[in-house]
Order: sequence, then structure tokens, then C-alpha cells
Amino acid sequence: MSVDPRRGQPAGRSSPAAGAAAPGAAAPPGSGRPLILDQLFAADSLYALRAAVAAHAAAAGVPARQVPDLVIAVHELATNAIRHGAGHGRVRIWADGGALHCEVSDDGAAEPATAAARWPAEHGHGLWLIRQVADETSLRTGPGGTVATVSFTLPGRPG
Amino acid sequence: MTVGASTQITELAVDDHACLTYGEAEELFDLTAAFVRDGLSGGLKVLWLSDGPPAQATAELARRGVDVASAVSTGQLAAAGCEGRLLSGQAFAADHAMGWLGGQMAACGQEGFPGLRVAVDMSWALRPLTGIEQLPDFEAGIATALAGTTVSVLCQYDRERFDPVTLASVAGYHTRSVAAATYYADAVLRICRQYAPPGIRLAGEIDYQAGEPLALALAEAIRLDGDLTINMSQLAFIDAPCTRLIVDAARGLAGSRRVRLVCPASVARRFASYGVGELPGVGLVTVDER
Repeated sequence: MSVDPRRGQPAGRSSPAAGAAAPGAAAPPGSGRPLILDQLFAADSLYALRAAVAAHAAAAGVPARQVPDLVIAVHELATNAIRHGAGHGRVRIWADGGALHCEVSDDGAAEPATAAARWPAEHGHGLWLIRQVADETSLRTGPGGTVATVSFTLPGRPG
Repeated sequence: MTVGASTQITELAVDDHACLTYGEAEELFDLTAAFVRDGLSGGLKVLWLSDGPPAQATAELARRGVDVASAVSTGQLAAAGCEGRLLSGQAFAADHAMGWLGGQMAACGQEGFPGLRVAVDMSWALRPLTGIEQLPDFEAGIATALAGTTVSVLCQYDRERFDPVTLASVAGYHTRSVAAATYYADAVLRICRQYAPPGIRLAGEIDYQAGEPLALALAEAIRLDGDLTINMSQLAFIDAPCTRLIVDAARGLAGSRRVRLVCPASVARRFASYGVGELPGVGLVTVDER
């Protein structure tokens, strides 16, 4: 279980928790670890986001074979923010505890009533795919927006 | 981009003077392979004057399912360069080139073939040769020579390298224009029909934003009979919704037709996790990342 860097509490495993979290507004994550990437995105900049994630993941030591897994995970989270959230959002990536953490956040849909049933976890859908590839997934979503974090253990380090 | 605005390569008539414009080598080789394949299966003699070495040309045909070895050994298929045929040294002369074509047409009849297909890569017209200004005369000559015969000629123009004025100057001499039916094209993604082997080709990166053209491309490819190839060998990224569109299409055909998904390793892993490799008649082929 990874520690939620913002709150100092264990981040749940893949459980959408309606809460009053203030997504993405807190202090830089990772206990002072520098951000490897801090990038905004919208629908027309997904291509640039994928490219940035791939480049920075590789530079951070993610094996070439695993880089596409980070890219798809961040992409699907970003897509969720675009289609069901605010329509745009932010990605932050940092390394901590032998893993690379990718946080995707948005400030929520203009019509919060549509927050329900926004994301099926069925076979083949985005969240299902993310769980296939990420070592840890945490998702907090509510009227104020969504913060999702996926973590990938870096090689040669304890998980 | 409109779909099917030009003639499909598979719909040419026996005396068509067709103008193929291509934007990338993959498109040129795919459409030419379909032109050659259909000509050979119709019993016609087929010639290809390619821009690159003839050995490369025949290799590209063989990769796309044309039985090159057999056709070359019987003299039904030949690949050659344009030097000595259309060109003499550093010069082009329309009447010399027409003389060559006329000789080929006569020889074909004498050899007992019912007809002839000639594919000509016009890239020589981009070189600093003398006589280039006679290109329209050459095209006019072809048009006159073919009408009412069983000879068709496919002129191949690289639309990335030829200027629009030149292309416009020769367009009028052709009876058909041919290109790969394209469903989506921008700097990041291309979705088009593939003809040899039949199916669709995706290149670049695709996500949910191109879901509609992908669905249309799949629907049109499925409407045709026979095996289906989804060529993703130049696809660097595909997201969950687009993967599902393709998996659902394959699942619908599984057992009744063969489906081949050709892709780089990272994309293949994505499809494998959806269980597509276990569907009857569906093959997942991994190629090197390009």
C-alpha cells in the first residue's frame, strides 16, 4: 500500500471514494521529492501528454518494455478527466519509495450530477486496463473533482 | 477527407489510364500489389517500372501476397527500371517512351496474353533530366494508345514531391484517379483501407477521438468477403476504446472468416490482454516497432 503523499494516510486500492478532497490543490507530493513532470492537458494535447510521459518515464529508469504501460494508464485517466470531469486536467509525476507515481487530477464536471456511473470498471474499459498494468491504483472522486494516482515499481528496488 | 471519392484500385477497367497518387511508400506498394495481383489473377501480363531497384519492387509485392516467383518464371510478371525504357541516359523524350510502350503492347499480344497492365512510377520526372516538359505529351500519348485496347496503365505520382501544377497538368489525360480510401488523416494518425492483403491500415497514434472513422473503416472492410487484415505495424499507440472496437469486430467475425491483427509488441500485448488471441480464426502477429 502506498502512502497518499498529500494526506499521510494510506491510499485505498482502486476504490472510488466520494469525499470532500480538494483535488490537486495540496502541496507538492512525495515529501519534497521533485516533480519529474507537471503538465496540463486537454483533448487536443493528449498526444503531447503521452509523448512527455513516455520521455520522462524512460529517463526516470522505467524499462522500455514497461513505458507503454505508464503511457496508457496516464492516457486513460486523462481521458476520463476530459470526458467525464472538467474537460481538462493536470498530470504530475514523481519518484518515491522505489516507484514512479503518476497523479492525474481535474476539478470536476460542470454538472456534478453527471458524476454518477462515469466510469465502468468492466473488462476492456479504461479502468480495467489501468489495473492490468499499474502496480497500485488509487482513485478519489467527488463533486470537487477527481484525483487518480497510478504507481509503477521501478526495477531493482523493493516494491 | 472523403471516402471513395476516387476509384478503388480494385475497380479498374481493362483499358483504364489511371493516375495513382500516393503520400507514403506503404500506400504505393499496397495499391500496386493489388493492381499486380488482380492483373495476374485475370491472366494478364503485368509490368512494373519502379523507381527503386526491381528486386526491391518484387520483394514488396511478395510481402503482400503476390506469387512473384511463379509469375516471373513464366514471363507473366516483370519488374524493371525506367532507364533504357522511358529514359535514354539523362534525357526523356515522349516519342521514345511511347515507342517502348507500343513495343510492350505488341509483344504482349504476340505472347498470347489477353491483356496487359503496366504500372509506371513517374518519379523520374522529378529529376533534372532534359525533356521533362514533354511529360504531358507522354500522358496524352498513353491516353490515345489505350482507348479500346485491353491494356491499362497505372501512372504513379508521389503527391508529397510533385507540385500541384504538374499534377493538374497530367490529371486530365487519365480516365481514373486512384488513391487509398482514407477515413482519417492528420499529422498524428492515418486510417485507410488496405488492398493487399485486404483490410484496414492504422498508422501513428489513435485514441477515442478517432473512434467514429475507425468504426466506419471497420464496418466497410467487414462488408467485403474474405480474410481481413488490420495492419497496425506503424501504430505506436492505441487506447482502450479503440482496442475494444477492433476486438469486438474480430469477435464478430471469429469462426466465419480469418482475421489478422499485425502490430508492434506493445500493441500486441494490449490485444492479448483482451483475449483476442484465443478467438478462433483470429491471429495476432507481432512485428518490430518501426
